[in-house]
Amino acid sequence: MTVTRLYNAHIIDPSQAIDGIGYLDITDSHISAVSLGQPATDATCDKKIDCKQAVLAPGLVDMRVQSADPGAEHLESLATLLAAAAKGGITALACLPNTRPVIDEASAIDSLCLRASRIGGPRLYAYGAATKGLEGAEMAELGLMAEAGAIGFTNGTSAIANSLTMRRLLAYTSMLDRPFIQHCEDPDLTEKGEMNEGETSTRLGLIGMPAEAEVIILDRDLHLLRRTGGRYHVAHLSTRAAIDAVRRAKAEGLAVTADTAPPYFLLNELAVSTYDTAFKLSPPLRSEDDRLAVVEGLADGTIDAIASDHMPVDRDAKTQPFGPAAPGASGVDTLLALTLTLVHQNHITLSRAIELLSLAPSTILDIDGGTLMPGASANFMLFRPDSSWIIKGADFASHSRITPFESHPVQGVVDMTYINGEQIYPVTALD
Amino acid sequence: MTTPTPNAHKGQSPAEAVRLSSRHLLGIEGMSPLEIRALLDRGNHFADHPTDGNSVALHGKTIVNLFYENSTRTRTSFELAAKRLGGSVLNIAVAGSSVKKGETLLDTATTLNAMHPDILVVRHNCSGAARLLSQHVDAAVINAGDGRHEHPTQALLDALTIQRRIGRIEGLTVAICGDIANSRVARSNIHLLSTLGAKIRLVCPPTLLPADIQHMGVEVYTDMESGIADADIVMMLRLQTERMAGTETPSQREYFNLFGLNQDKLNRAAPRALIMHPGPMNRGVEIDSAIADDVEKSLIHIQVEMGVAARMACLEAISLGAL
Repeated sequence: MTVTRLYNAHIIDPSQAIDGIGYLDITDSHISAVSLGQPATDATCDKKIDCKQAVLAPGLVDMRVQSADPGAEHLESLATLLAAAAKGGITALACLPNTRPVIDEASAIDSLCLRASRIGGPRLYAYGAATKGLEGAEMAELGLMAEAGAIGFTNGTSAIANSLTMRRLLAYTSMLDRPFIQHCEDPDLTEKGEMNEGETSTRLGLIGMPAEAEVIILDRDLHLLRRTGGRYHVAHLSTRAAIDAVRRAKAEGLAVTADTAPPYFLLNELAVSTYDTAFKLSPPLRSEDDRLAVVEGLADGTIDAIASDHMPVDRDAKTQPFGPAAPGASGVDTLLALTLTLVHQNHITLSRAIELLSLAPSTILDIDGGTLMPGASANFMLFRPDSSWIIKGADFASHSRITPFESHPVQGVVDMTYINGEQIYPVTALD
Repeated sequence: MTTPTPNAHKGQSPAEAVRLSSRHLLGIEGMSPLEIRALLDRGNHFADHPTDGNSVALHGKTIVNLFYENSTRTRTSFELAAKRLGGSVLNIAVAGSSVKKGETLLDTATTLNAMHPDILVVRHNCSGAARLLSQHVDAAVINAGDGRHEHPTQALLDALTIQRRIGRIEGLTVAICGDIANSRVARSNIHLLSTLGAKIRLVCPPTLLPADIQHMGVEVYTDMESGIADADIVMMLRLQTERMAGTETPSQREYFNLFGLNQDKLNRAAPRALIMHPGPMNRGVEIDSAIADDVEKSLIHIQVEMGVAARMACLEAISLGAL
């Protein structure tokens, strides 16, 4: 039995409403004590770490990550993804089923999770594809995937277009007690779409995707949810109308949760004005009013979580005219620092930021993490919220280095990440 | 060559060669009225002196026409303009060759770059393609049409045509009719003509109108007769026939009925209006043949002629480099 004590830390744990200078004891792989104030001097520990008042918080749980592995390992391997996550303070991540082959059966879930666990580091979870081959038609073997550990079901980067299929999926997943994660985007309204529809798309001559495409799918799903029951989660919310709809649904008591990603609260469609394909994302960057609605939704609790929406894309796919360029960007390296922007701009507290990044996603997905409660696995990280740096894709630990935040100044540097009591970042121990 | 009409632009004794603030000519948006007027004056000069012996602006220079979309008039117009200025011209129709072999725009650009052309004239079906190319080649780039975005030399030749016929642009009412949503010609003309003080109206069915275009300072009409009433210029756009097959509009027949330009509409709306069309025309679809060929009303053939003059001005300006 080994006891490690981290003292003189600014402990933030929204699950216990702890926010202040204190200490944390780890016994082997679990948290054995957490408290505000200074520890008793006679305590016996095998190892003591002075945190110098850095923030000690539960590790981040990134609930929307695209793994390029299997199928597109040249974009990113599981190893670089997990290393980048560890560097970003992420202790658990949930991967979309959009791989090749598609994760639409139990063995694919097994395989991905097993290979990740062999590499070690952050814990990787997988969503199961809601439909076979992600084609939106035939239901995949959801029950068998749930038994294999699928933490939720989704059609990945596309919405279920057919209302009957959607009704059946909600009904069936309610039996499995797993959330259904929807990318709310009407495929007909956004067909061939290149960016958000509005004056900017008109000036640039790019095909617009109307903001309504998001709320139309969401509203339909909410109507179905009232009938079917089950848990419904909206991924990367980006428009005011959809956020208002989620707010109303929550007030009504529906089992709805939602996340968003940093581009949607930090950027708007004007960023596309130079046809810079780093700003081609899915959903597209929206209007300034939509961006403000996302910030409000994060502050008032309408939006539960922030995910990185990490999407490995290489330079070839981006060095194209805007239309044919691939959507997506890297996200795990910058998730914490970009979210802290909201704290530095006084939109949310540091504790709320940790809730959005850790407690809420682990609660939604019902996975280990999100808390420093004694008895919990020792999954946590230490960071300095005020340390500044400039985002440079070239410096990412992720092999995917395209970011819409290139050259953005941010604050927030992760010093250490722990999983099950083991330091996984930095790789060389500090002592 | 037509003789200049009595209203032809005069006053500016031999216009000087123009230099622009940008090294490339990617679009009209953002160009100053001064730059545009200077290019028009120079274009006017070339229209009067198409074989100006003094003009050796492109002597020893290589101009590559890189066309990813089929084009007859724009490509030949650039070619003729470049040759009149003494340049060597290389035409590359990529539409049928490397694209099919999977070569990307930038692969082609890199290959061409190695041949050290001085000016790259590019047409591509993607908005922003000319700009992307300009970021990756050493040559100066002229946009000969990028997707739905801009077609700056078309707007310049249209303005030159109007200026030579009417003598001014400021204060004119110009109705642009047809497929605005998919038209780079419309966008470049909106920028240019409004920069020079014309009033722009757009006339089209709502399904062919791009979002929030009112913010670009135009008035929108869905009724042809009120849209072209009292207009000095009626500019018809080409409508691709597939857009009339029940998706954007119900049928070719209905489109011509509601938005096609015929003598009847023209008479009732604006008898003295002049007609323009960037070509190629769909006769009997967006424009009645009789009107298109009416030399009193139609400027269509003058547009083609002015295309060479306007492009000479542009090629010369770009060859001189940015200010």
